[in-house]
Amino acid sequence: MTRVNVLLLLAVLASALYLVHIQYESRRLFVELEKAASQMRKLEMESESFLAEKRAQATPLRVDKLAKDKLQMRPATPAITQYVAHRETAAATPPAKP
Amino acid sequence: MSRSVRYSSSPLLASKTPVWRSKFIVAAIALGFAVLAARAAHIQIFGNAFFQRQGEVRFVRTLELPASRGRIMDRNGLILASNIPAASIWAIPEDINGTPAQLAELAHLLEMPPAELSKKLGDEDKTFVWLKRQVEEPVAKRIAELGLKGIHQDAGFKRQYPDGEATAHVIGFTNIENTGLDGMELTFEKHLLGRAGSRRVIKDGKGRVVEDVRDKVPAIDGKDLQLSIDSKVQFFAYQKLRDTVTAHKAKAGSVVVLDAVTGEVLALANYPSYMPDKRKNLTGEQLRNRAVTDTFEPGSTMKPITVAMALEAGRVTPQTLIETGPGRYAIGGFNITDTHNYGTLTVEGVIQKSSNVGALKIAQKMTPHEMWDTYTALGYGQKPQIQFRGAVTGRVRPWKTWRPVEQASMSYGYGLSASLFQMAHSYTAFAHDGRIIPLTMLKSTEPAVGVKVFSPENAQAVRRMLQMAAAPGGTGQLAQTVGYSVGGKSGTAHKQVGKGYASNKYRAWFTGMAPIDTPRIIVAVMIDEPSNGQYFGGVVAAPVFSEVAQQTLRLMNVQPDVTVKPQIVANPVEESL
Repeated sequence: MTRVNVLLLLAVLASALYLVHIQYESRRLFVELEKAASQMRKLEMESESFLAEKRAQATPLRVDKLAKDKLQMRPATPAITQYVAHRETAAATPPAKP
Repeated sequence: MSRSVRYSSSPLLASKTPVWRSKFIVAAIALGFAVLAARAAHIQIFGNAFFQRQGEVRFVRTLELPASRGRIMDRNGLILASNIPAASIWAIPEDINGTPAQLAELAHLLEMPPAELSKKLGDEDKTFVWLKRQVEEPVAKRIAELGLKGIHQDAGFKRQYPDGEATAHVIGFTNIENTGLDGMELTFEKHLLGRAGSRRVIKDGKGRVVEDVRDKVPAIDGKDLQLSIDSKVQFFAYQKLRDTVTAHKAKAGSVVVLDAVTGEVLALANYPSYMPDKRKNLTGEQLRNRAVTDTFEPGSTMKPITVAMALEAGRVTPQTLIETGPGRYAIGGFNITDTHNYGTLTVEGVIQKSSNVGALKIAQKMTPHEMWDTYTALGYGQKPQIQFRGAVTGRVRPWKTWRPVEQASMSYGYGLSASLFQMAHSYTAFAHDGRIIPLTMLKSTEPAVGVKVFSPENAQAVRRMLQMAAAPGGTGQLAQTVGYSVGGKSGTAHKQVGKGYASNKYRAWFTGMAPIDTPRIIVAVMIDEPSNGQYFGGVVAAPVFSEVAQQTLRLMNVQPDVTVKPQIVANPVEESL
């Protein structure tokens, strides 16, 4: 009888210690997860602001200015554009007269 | 002599212990346990809620999960408004202990004079003072790197508008709490706004989150918004408008570009404008979205409407002859004049030459009621159904109060008022084969379904007249484009000042469409008080129409419908493969 009790006591102790360990482990992992999640948010934010930055660098205003100043380009007009009709619609609409 | 004690026979042990003593001890210990049990019961059962709460206060925290505001995009998915991280910098004045050099650097980073900074930090009684809100990320980082004690940062977001002043009036802006205050930001506040979530967590001694107490309420981000605006068209329209207003030393100007098929607003620009994220020292002049909030007497741009209603009522045909000689007409004590004596004109000619006398004679074939009905059907005097707060209704007086001279002057655009936006909207009736279509600021791909105002034949006839007006011999020839047939009507109106009209202040208009046979776009231009010598709509506003229409059609991949002399040099050298 006593032996069974001692055995059970040991089992309870072991289980309790294991529980403590598991609890500790779960909190540790949870902290890791939190860290990763906040990293994700930060990266998402960063990507969003890079997108905004990319867009800010490519506004029509800036592109127009650079194309004119640096590349000496000018706006296209129909006079310097060759229009080709799309194959399916070619039959329906006559191609642009040259 | 040795002394020996025989313990077994110690008299002390021999004496009998009284029974009450041991009983007393047992009772005392039992009482101790009873007290403990009572206390335990008190904590665990009766006062449980209180102690649980106290415990939670010490380690459970509610965290707010911020929701981000939706982005605004143009029809092609280009970002017009988005969020970027921005920190708000605050200080506890009594904690500040930086060196003067550090503080000078801080003032430099905050873009404020050192004197202002030291004034803010000078008040040691205060425990909290904002230094600057919504500081952009790189600057905030450098401030943090200064490592000053007493300077703190709160993370946050701010709105960023890449297209700046070109789209300012359309997009609007938000306040420091990211609540929409103007433009689309205001109109679609509910759509863009997210709902913040929350979570209950347990924090450990180091402030780390170690456990969720219950399920979190996730943050719901605001939804993105896709506008009908084409950022390239918008930019181009704004640029042309700005150049024209500057060149003609005008006070202001507006451009509206509409898709004549779907009713989408492709561009809506005003000048002067402002940078939405730098709103210091703004004036109402810059802030006003003139195209929808300002009304004017539209002048000659109303004449095609007068003619269209007479055609619809069957009072005239495009070839009916109207006597406009001698270029003057006296009515109700007023003398209505043309700039020249055009003699006898056809109805088409009245539009082409923009004859006031001709227009009023056509209007006299109509009753005020008929005219009022058409104006109303075309949206004049009605609140425009468009997603802008503060869109004005303009003014068309009830027809019963019209005197003959007023009916006459309305035929050429005086005595009633409308915004440029209403003007452009009414022209959809001509572009859309007689049906006026609803306009929208949101992207839509379906052709709009309109309400019939004129018959398709009459709409076509008016389009032909508009084409003549914008052709050589008409008042708006500068509206011509390369490759696309255009039609439109110029207008020049004296500005109303006080009770009368100023003789030297004008508004120049041009409203037209292209390509004229199957219109894809409508462009309306208004220049306010051009004062560099020229002031006629056909001279000041028509060139803006021309360039904006041409670029817009090119960007929309519309094939030119007019033969163009090609300037493409064919490569004479055969390339080797």
